[in-house]
Amino acid sequence: MENKRPLSPHIQIYKWHISSLVSISHRITGIINIIGITFICLWATLLLLGESNYLVINSFLNTLIGKFIILGLTWSFSFQALSEIRHLIMDLGYGFQIQITKITGLLVIFGSIIFTVIFYFIGKNLI
Amino acid sequence: MVQINLPKGSEVQKGNYFKDKTGSKNIKKVNVYRWDPSSGDNPRIDTYEVDMDSCPSKVLDILNKIKNEIDPTLAYRRSCAHGVCGSCAMNMGGKNGLACTKPHSEIDGDIDIYPLPHLKVKKDLIGDLDGLYRQYKSIEPWLKTNSKSDSMEIIQSKKDREKLDGAYECIMCACCSTSCPSYWWNGDKYLGPAVLLQAYRWIVDSRDDERQARLKKVADELKLYRCHTILNCTSACPKGLNPAKAIAEIKKMLATANI
Repeated sequence: MENKRPLSPHIQIYKWHISSLVSISHRITGIINIIGITFICLWATLLLLGESNYLVINSFLNTLIGKFIILGLTWSFSFQALSEIRHLIMDLGYGFQIQITKITGLLVIFGSIIFTVIFYFIGKNLI
Repeated sequence: MVQINLPKGSEVQKGNYFKDKTGSKNIKKVNVYRWDPSSGDNPRIDTYEVDMDSCPSKVLDILNKIKNEIDPTLAYRRSCAHGVCGSCAMNMGGKNGLACTKPHSEIDGDIDIYPLPHLKVKKDLIGDLDGLYRQYKSIEPWLKTNSKSDSMEIIQSKKDREKLDGAYECIMCACCSTSCPSYWWNGDKYLGPAVLLQAYRWIVDSRDDERQARLKKVADELKLYRCHTILNCTSACPKGLNPAKAIAEIKKMLATANI
């Protein structure tokens, strides 16, 4: 009888809000960043082995997919950094009122997009 | 472990539809999670058409109306109806709360009512909270003092008493713990916001002499540090308390104290 008891629905029905979205995104961007950093390290290592390697990677990064990956990584690094600052402030015991968590969460979301745009312009030598 | 899908036998199916018989123009559709332990069937969602013209303002009033006028087989816990006992904690419109204090006007469209999330269901909207009560017992929620006198009260300054504000008001309705994804995935080890708020309540009590031991007990990777400040707990608390902040305060004490 005990084992027959069903498990009540959880993530399927629970409403998302800013803090839970930022929290899960923090984890996802964390995983993306680890993979991203690994590839950047590999790239840097390959540079030591000669110019031809550089050209291959360079031409890949200039394709549409390559550009998407660079922009995506710029965003996920920005998001992770801002969200980590939010976590550090919370670890100090501040910013736990629901209203404040909404504001800081929105700051992280929009801040990461703004950072991505700024980095894009810097990369294009427009700033 | 993180398990997104419901296990076999827990998937929710479409249930019965109870059409309105009063002929009212002001109808609200209410979808309620049902599970009957005496049948071998999966849980189902029954839909009731409820006449809102003769229904008071809270979600509990809707449930009472359904039970009294439409379907007496519906099972749910309720007692005080004033947000004091914590019996009618459930998930309404995707958020945990007390049915007796939650106005149904705050929920747009159809009203979805589920039991508290990620619990073993006993019947319909009644979840099994035994695990949570065991964890509550494990933090030994009573005063431990070296005071020898049994006739004199232990004096507490107003300032020390203030530290308990926001912690002692908890009614242990489990809205916060069952809203927490960390508690869903690690509920067997992670204590969860409700129990940690109570742990905090005894840690900061100036009359308690076991502060160090209490802190040591709670300082555990899984018991405490599974809190990732998702803040579902604080946004769910029907009493307006802040379990996430209490957990952060415990973490801070552990980081600064010499244990």
